[in-house]
Amino acid sequence: METRTNTVRSRGKLVVMLIAATLLASCGVSNVTIEGSFPTPNISKLPLSVAVYYDEALRDFSYLEYSETGQEEFNIASGQSHIQLFNAILPAMFDNVIVVNSMEEAASSGADAVFMPLIEEFQLALPAKTKLDVYEVWVKYNMRLVTPTGDYIADWVLTSYGKTPTETFRSVEAGINEAAVVALRDLASSFSLTFSQVPEVNDWLASL
Amino acid sequence: MATISGIRTSRYGLLLCALLFAACTSTTVDEFRQGETGIENHESVVILGRRQASDYETRSEFVECVGDRMARGENAINVIPEQEFIDAMFPWFEPRTAPLRTRDLEQLMAEDAVARTMGEFGIRYIVWLDGYTETTDRQGSISCTIGPGGGGCFGFGTWEDDANFDARVWDVGSLTNVGTINTDATGQSYLPALVVPIPLIARVEANACNRLAAQLKDFVNGS
Repeated sequence: METRTNTVRSRGKLVVMLIAATLLASCGVSNVTIEGSFPTPNISKLPLSVAVYYDEALRDFSYLEYSETGQEEFNIASGQSHIQLFNAILPAMFDNVIVVNSMEEAASSGADAVFMPLIEEFQLALPAKTKLDVYEVWVKYNMRLVTPTGDYIADWVLTSYGKTPTETFRSVEAGINEAAVVALRDLASSFSLTFSQVPEVNDWLASL
Repeated sequence: MATISGIRTSRYGLLLCALLFAACTSTTVDEFRQGETGIENHESVVILGRRQASDYETRSEFVECVGDRMARGENAINVIPEQEFIDAMFPWFEPRTAPLRTRDLEQLMAEDAVARTMGEFGIRYIVWLDGYTETTDRQGSISCTIGPGGGGCFGFGTWEDDANFDARVWDVGSLTNVGTINTDATGQSYLPALVVPIPLIARVEANACNRLAAQLKDFVNGS
């Protein structure tokens, strides 16, 4: 009889622990890693050899969204998806693309220029806050182009925007991911189409 | 007693039948032709949704529906799926970069890569769909309760749906706008709840899709 009571008690404790664990887990921050696939741009290549350097700030970029009460709500990691995107678009834009791990490596790569993208700002709009049935992502970038020895060629700002179609039944994580992928696609289109129109880049291309 | 119950049942039946007939839609299709049309067997059409507006965007499900209907039945047309075309044309048909006028398409076709891909798909016409479905005049209320003995809902709700879509047809050969077709479908939906809610939904978007696809098919075929 006592053994049975102990079993009931231990099961009860297990249930209480599970409920407590679930409650604690629901209070914590949700991690969202942006994942998507990006098409290769259908554009004419520039006859250039470009080295690309993804610094630590870009590779490990994540954005923390806070709730209205100031608690950490979503941690959105998008550094790797940005690298995946640039790795898809740059080979379609230039004859030769070399990914380098340092500026020293870039100097000895024989490239015409080194491209260094940087995320300056990331903004997220959630339906719970905007009262709209769409998720929105806005990102501001600083694009830098330097010579292999580190001298300035161009430095310009690009913004990208993505929103999901109106839909009521969707998880928050899926909504954030979808909006971020649309924003990344928007970045790819504006970057690939406006690259040679940036005045400093245009001057540099003319001087080659 | 049995007679009263029978009368009540038949009244409910009549009410339901009346509502079923009332939950239908009325659709108007307007066509404005600006040029001659016609399509060969080896040529195809791509249907694209306009998404540059900030307050609405043409739903991809509606675009897909029109494409599916055009690719079926008599005089079926070869329709290229929207996403396949947009990906192959990336980055030229994105929300921020898509051509808004035929003059923009002319500039776009000057790009070798664009002209080559357009030729590979055999695109003869680009159809731009622009519109959305709006719900208005929501009235009534339904309340639901649940208890140990069971649950149920009681009440009545009604609303009106209006689907309005424009289809602009661009001829890729002559780089001109050859016509516009407008479809407007409206319908009243009802939701009576007598223990169980019975939705009587007006299928305005489905009707708009069917009528627009049929009209577009005839238009592109030149009939």
